[in-house]
Amino acid sequence: MAPEPALLGIFPDLDDLLTALRKVKEKNGRILTVFSPIHFSGIQEILGHKTSGVRYLTLIGGILGGTSLVGLAVYAHLSFQLVTGGKPVLPPIPFVVPFFEGTILLAVIFTVLFWILKGRLPRVRLPAAYDPRFSEDRFGILLACPPGQRALLEGVLRDAGAEEVRDVSS
Amino acid sequence: MDPLSYQDVNRKILQTLSRPPRSYYWIVGLLFLGILWAAACWAYQILTGLGVTGLLHPSMWILYLVNFVFWVGIAHSGTLISAILYLFRARWRTPIARSAEAMTVFAVMIAGLFPFIHLGRVWLFYWIIPYPNQRTLWPDFQSPLMFDFLAISTYLTVSVLFWYTGLVPDLAAVRDRSAGIRRKIYGFFSLGWTGTDRQWHHYGAAYLLLAGLATPLVVSVHSVVSWDFALAIIPGYHSTIFAPYFVAGAIHSGLAMVLTLLIPLRAIFHFEKIITLKDLESVAKTTILTGLIVGYSYLIEYFIAWYSGNVFEKQTFLFRAFGHWSPAFWVMVFCNAVAPLFFFFKRFRTRLWSLFTIAILINIGMYAERFVIIIGSMAQDFIPYNWGFYQIRWVELSITVGSFCLFLFLFFLFAKFLPSISIAEVKEEITPQLRGKGKRDHHGA
Repeated sequence: MAPEPALLGIFPDLDDLLTALRKVKEKNGRILTVFSPIHFSGIQEILGHKTSGVRYLTLIGGILGGTSLVGLAVYAHLSFQLVTGGKPVLPPIPFVVPFFEGTILLAVIFTVLFWILKGRLPRVRLPAAYDPRFSEDRFGILLACPPGQRALLEGVLRDAGAEEVRDVSS
Repeated sequence: MDPLSYQDVNRKILQTLSRPPRSYYWIVGLLFLGILWAAACWAYQILTGLGVTGLLHPSMWILYLVNFVFWVGIAHSGTLISAILYLFRARWRTPIARSAEAMTVFAVMIAGLFPFIHLGRVWLFYWIIPYPNQRTLWPDFQSPLMFDFLAISTYLTVSVLFWYTGLVPDLAAVRDRSAGIRRKIYGFFSLGWTGTDRQWHHYGAAYLLLAGLATPLVVSVHSVVSWDFALAIIPGYHSTIFAPYFVAGAIHSGLAMVLTLLIPLRAIFHFEKIITLKDLESVAKTTILTGLIVGYSYLIEYFIAWYSGNVFEKQTFLFRAFGHWSPAFWVMVFCNAVAPLFFFFKRFRTRLWSLFTIAILINIGMYAERFVIIIGSMAQDFIPYNWGFYQIRWVELSITVGSFCLFLFLFFLFAKFLPSISIAEVKEEITPQLRGKGKRDHHGA
């Protein structure tokens, strides 16, 4: 697929970035990505992100982990029966520990895998639009730039306070 | 004090990754020698047998188990600070969370070594792993040993993943300011993070969930460790308060270790603007709470020994206070329950020397506590014929010292190669630069 023409605006101030995002949305511009050195929920609100689905994967991981470790314990106890002092071969109370540990373990592993994969990571090459300043003190907006819209979009970004606007292909 | 900017945060934190002074290499070299010596002692023990240690009936759990419980305890504050205080939105956790998490990971790794060191035939350790085998043997999932195996391995995995998740955005910041092979290594571990809205969105949700999942784990791990003892019928072990008592003690020792490590770290790397005195004071205030819980547990143990009317319990607790190991008992009481009370006075929790001294005292006291419980209870149980005193031998003492060397060695490497303070989280705590507002304001300034 041919790379899509795009416009990158770099902002030193967070409020300018938010203003630019709102204005671009008003003008029906297509925001491809927003780069930020911090996690700021205001950006997600403007972009209209839905609640992350990570919690479902966490739940599935937890259920899978808990049941599989208890399943393993049950299988182990039935395969090698230690009948001592009239104690049951399958004791429910001590099995709470493997259930608990299995639940937490797989829930955490699933959660970590989810955020990595949903964040489209790992990636070998950094995107062309990425600027190393985004991990320091600058914010960035990457906009789709259809033919004939460049001047309008650059004007929006500059008016909002962008210190630098440049063409990139996304 | 000048407020911090985003650039300042990057510069200050990443300066720790630059070339260290010559003294750093000397210290790391000495610590490495300590580790080598301990490894040699372990090799000697494996070749000769456990008889080279002081392990002798009735003291079958020697310093190795004391070390195991001590290091698991140290491991607690990391997750407490990074997970529980994150859920409570305690802002003072931000500058110290990363180091505390690193401490947790290293301490759990070291704790996990001691059950192996305590094995006579360590090469058979894999017998505890549940897998189909030609011996048709399976581990007993009712055993506290199995509980331990599950709890420690889960805690280690979760701590490493939680720590790594927090590190990814910072590794990207290091990558962007490195060149050559360093850039490649940091780039590999940062997974190609670019801080896009999509990445932050899922990352933020996942981090919150990880904190929520790690929180019950903190409470459970030392509870499970305490059941190693509480499920036995030995007087001094067989107690229902052991789980909360151990958890409070673990957090107590962990917080003290945080102060012990962070006060020098703050001075060496000039982190005064990031790790403020107010942050250290908050740790000290939390230590008062854990110290009071620990002190209450000591009192309740004596009350129960008296109230139960059980002669064996009574004699065990009298032996603790006035018997062969009584100096360790009084060190424990003073250091863990009395010394933290000085933090009630503002002057003691706002001066670095007093914070550091009391933190060291608590570390000593918590080691003494594990010694008193584990060694003391086994030395004098039901019948006088069975009594006996444990003599510490040079082999286990060397391995114990080696474990401290390993802990500090790993921490020194961490401070040199990874951002010891979370760059992204510190930035979130300072007011972002807004047009016309000029410079940013630091939360502690």
